[in-house]
Amino acid sequence: MGYVIYFLARRSAQGLIIVFFAVFFIFMVMRIVPGDPVRLMVGGAAPDQVLQKVAKELGLKDPLLVQFGRYLKGIVQGDFGNSFIRPKSGGSVGGEAWDDKRAHARAEVFDLIVERIPLTLLLAGMAMGWAILLGIPLGIMAALRQGGWVDKFANAFVSVSISVPNFWLGIILMLIVSIRLKILPSVGYKGLSYVILPSFAVSLELAPILLRTIRSSMIDVLQMNFVKVAKARGLSSWSIIMKHCFRNSLIPLLNVLGVQIGILLGGVIVVEFVFNYPGLGLLTIYAVLQRDFPLIQGIVILFAGVFVFINIIVDLLCSYVDRRLTF
Amino acid sequence: MQVSKNPFLKLAFRNVGVIAGLSIFFILLAASIFGPHLLPHDPYKMNIMNRLKPPVFMSGGTWEHPLGTDALGRDLLARVLSGLRVSLIIGFSTVLLIFLFGSALGMTSGYYGGLFDTIQMRITDAQLSLPMIVLAIAILGVTRPNIYSIILVLAISSWPIYARVTRGIVLGEREKEYVRAAKIIGASGPRIIARYIAPGILPSVALVAILDIARMIIFEAILGFLGLSIQPPQPSFGNIIADGRKYLVNAWWIATMPGVVLSLLLISINMVGSGVEKVRKTIIET
Repeated sequence: MGYVIYFLARRSAQGLIIVFFAVFFIFMVMRIVPGDPVRLMVGGAAPDQVLQKVAKELGLKDPLLVQFGRYLKGIVQGDFGNSFIRPKSGGSVGGEAWDDKRAHARAEVFDLIVERIPLTLLLAGMAMGWAILLGIPLGIMAALRQGGWVDKFANAFVSVSISVPNFWLGIILMLIVSIRLKILPSVGYKGLSYVILPSFAVSLELAPILLRTIRSSMIDVLQMNFVKVAKARGLSSWSIIMKHCFRNSLIPLLNVLGVQIGILLGGVIVVEFVFNYPGLGLLTIYAVLQRDFPLIQGIVILFAGVFVFINIIVDLLCSYVDRRLTF
Repeated sequence: MQVSKNPFLKLAFRNVGVIAGLSIFFILLAASIFGPHLLPHDPYKMNIMNRLKPPVFMSGGTWEHPLGTDALGRDLLARVLSGLRVSLIIGFSTVLLIFLFGSALGMTSGYYGGLFDTIQMRITDAQLSLPMIVLAIAILGVTRPNIYSIILVLAISSWPIYARVTRGIVLGEREKEYVRAAKIIGASGPRIIARYIAPGILPSVALVAILDIARMIIFEAILGFLGLSIQPPQPSFGNIIADGRKYLVNAWWIATMPGVVLSLLLISINMVGSGVEKVRKTIIET
């Protein structure tokens, strides 16, 4: 148990550093790149003094490092700041007239993000489910009969699905399933059936990676001595494959999953845009396009945090599956 | 048929995937280079009388416009080929750039270690933890993107992987005899990296880079789809598809046709990439 605690402490510390650098990086990039959030906030017709006043109120006139320090201080106290553009009432677009008083109640970044998390988790989780359902059985069967027809089919599936861009695939699914066949809805979110198509589009990016990894690690494991011994002991091939081989081929799979989480997130962002699915991805794209600095920073902290967290979990799971691995 | 004396190339040219992939790739490459000169239509020329014409295999389609026309009556084939050219230029130049820059940095930090190495590794960790697309739209969202800024942004968001991979390899190489021997005869650090380490390790990294060409092309298409790549009226795969999304119900071919060509291109590159990788593995094993 001592090991685990030491491991968690060390990895969390490293993770904090990674998240810190990620936020610092995006904080600086957003401010160095041209593009004025204040102009977007006050609208095109506002006079220059108003522009200057709002910029001063938001602290955008201070040196960058001072701004960053203030931001960090807020975060330590649990305050992620307020969105530059989104009003509290839940509307999504800024740019009201500069003298409109309603524009002043701005939504808190924390709330904006938290209310979108469940939808994105649902999408990502279902995508992962599809990918596992598609990739793992096919990968195992391909490994059992190398060069057989399942293997050939799996190979073709991998090279096609890895090559087809998921935003285009999303459009095709939309066209066939919801416009032509009218089976499933595809735009927005009003219930569980709205998640099926987008999650499938995301999963087709993930499934080939899972398939390839599980196939090659299964092949490695199948050649090991303990498999021959198990056969000699008269165990059924089902129990050999599922209990002994599959478990041992999980390690590379888990590692790949940890690394691919970034790809999963990237895919989710684009697919949410295609299907106009109101999750974190759509929020991210609009936040970036609207130069909503505090919102982008909040999202980056979340993404980086999730990335770090999942990689820690993956390492823990690996050592659970294979007791020889130490932390 | 004796293709080459190099055993690697010899095996590669016997691999079905590599041959098939290369053939498709060169057909597409030729189409993108010569197509615009041979086709009777200009990708920018509008013809409202001819708008939303279906492709040739549907009823009402003609060979005049093999892939049909878009909402402004522009020939879709001409636009797709023009977009193909942009994709190829962006894909290849980005990968060349990140391969050179990333592996130079990776080799240096792997060889020297120390503070430089630590800082660089933390930066790559941080960058790998945020989806590349956030960074890319952050930079491209405010500028009017042109082909150079797109290449630069794609490169900025993907070099860390190369830095990390080459660093990992160099860490192992550094302790080997030939590097120690080179040190003893008085070779300087940069010379050892450039003359002794790089020729040994870069070819295998370059083979993996083939697959990244496909990744960069997808990435460019995604940006184009979001409206952050080449700006209309100049066509790119992404912006044709984004435009076609509006006409899905009455003219489905506008969004689908560019995607078919794009997928073909990506499949061909991936076939070459994975074929070459297989050949490399068999050579290492024997």
